[in-house]
Amino acid sequence: MEDLLKPDYGVLVLTVCNFLLLVYLLKKFAWDRIISGLEQREKQIADDKKQAQDARAAAENIKRELDEKLAQISDEAAKKMAEAVKMGETQKEQILSAAKEQSERLLEQAKAQIEAEKNKALSDVRGEIARTAVLAASKVVQQQMSEESAKSVVDRVLNEIKAK
Amino acid sequence: MDVAEIISHHILDHDWGVTLAGFRVPVTTHTVTLMAVSLVLLLGLYWISRRHQSRAGRLLTTLTEEYVSFIRDGVVLPNMGPEGRSFLPYFCTLFLFVLFCALAGLIPNMKTATANISVTAALALCSGGLILYCGLKFHGPIGFLKGFIPSGTPGWLVPLIFPLEIISMIIKVCVLAIRLFANMLSGHMVLICLLLIIFVVGQMHIAAGAGALLPAMGLELFMTCLEILVAFLQAYVFTLLTSIFAGSVIHTH
Repeated sequence: MEDLLKPDYGVLVLTVCNFLLLVYLLKKFAWDRIISGLEQREKQIADDKKQAQDARAAAENIKRELDEKLAQISDEAAKKMAEAVKMGETQKEQILSAAKEQSERLLEQAKAQIEAEKNKALSDVRGEIARTAVLAASKVVQQQMSEESAKSVVDRVLNEIKAK
Repeated sequence: MDVAEIISHHILDHDWGVTLAGFRVPVTTHTVTLMAVSLVLLLGLYWISRRHQSRAGRLLTTLTEEYVSFIRDGVVLPNMGPEGRSFLPYFCTLFLFVLFCALAGLIPNMKTATANISVTAALALCSGGLILYCGLKFHGPIGFLKGFIPSGTPGWLVPLIFPLEIISMIIKVCVLAIRLFANMLSGHMVLICLLLIIFVVGQMHIAAGAGALLPAMGLELFMTCLEILVAFLQAYVFTLLTSIFAGSVIHTH
């Protein structure tokens, strides 16, 4: 059992040579290629991740711009709508006032026309009455009075009618 | 039956007695195991590095890349910093070599080479060489030696501290060898002892031996599983401690 702790220098030297040779050969034929493959894959993953992040940032920028434009358009639409409503109100007021003026004018005209027609009718009635009166008077005169008295009666009647 | 002799026979290295021009060539069961492990690693990793497109090839490539990134990000870079990147192949090889040497002992008719003090001493010597190389490469001879004196040490204490620090580093490297050797040896001793229970009890009575068969095999199975765990653990510890010691001379106080 004491041989367990007795070093065998031949084995020791052989192990050192074996291990160092293995390190060298593995580095030359395996590790360099595996490590470079790993680093390449990690680089690719990092690049892909960066690209994805850039694309996301670009998409977020576009979204932000579109949101801003949308907000601007909404503001403009609201402003135009308000202007249109205001304009509509003004036009409504103008139309109403014009209509009112026109109706008042028409009413005045109608009143004037009615007045004229009334005056004319009155004048016609007066003439008709005068003629009737003259006719009546002439008949009375023919029977009882002279021409001069008849005339004075007629004039008096006419004046009375005029006074009315 | 001499139990100690059986255990010794199972654990100890056996020289095959090969000589070349009168000189002894150290061809032993342990060195043959070492070489077999080296060959398997060399051929296996070379095949993996060719990046075969078969399912097994892709699986092994991914597995190996994960292993390399584990050694790089979990062992080398945290302890040695970016300077350790150039030593990554050494640590990747070291971990697999120690692991496969330990696992080889679980295969019937093969030996655990790391249960040999000469093998673990050789590995520790390589780690010591790496530590020395790191110190000389990054600080030069004077700077490397200055690194053994902690900053703020009073001048009169330097003659005492300096040799102590040197001895401390040598002991650390020696402990690497002893720790691995002791762990591998003890595990295999326990395994053979559990197997011997059957024969020792069987010598008393054949029925008792048969009765001891199942419990002994159960314990054997448990210990084998434990040995697999210990193999991984010791490979990790050896690699980690080497990187820590190398890092300590790169990044001095």
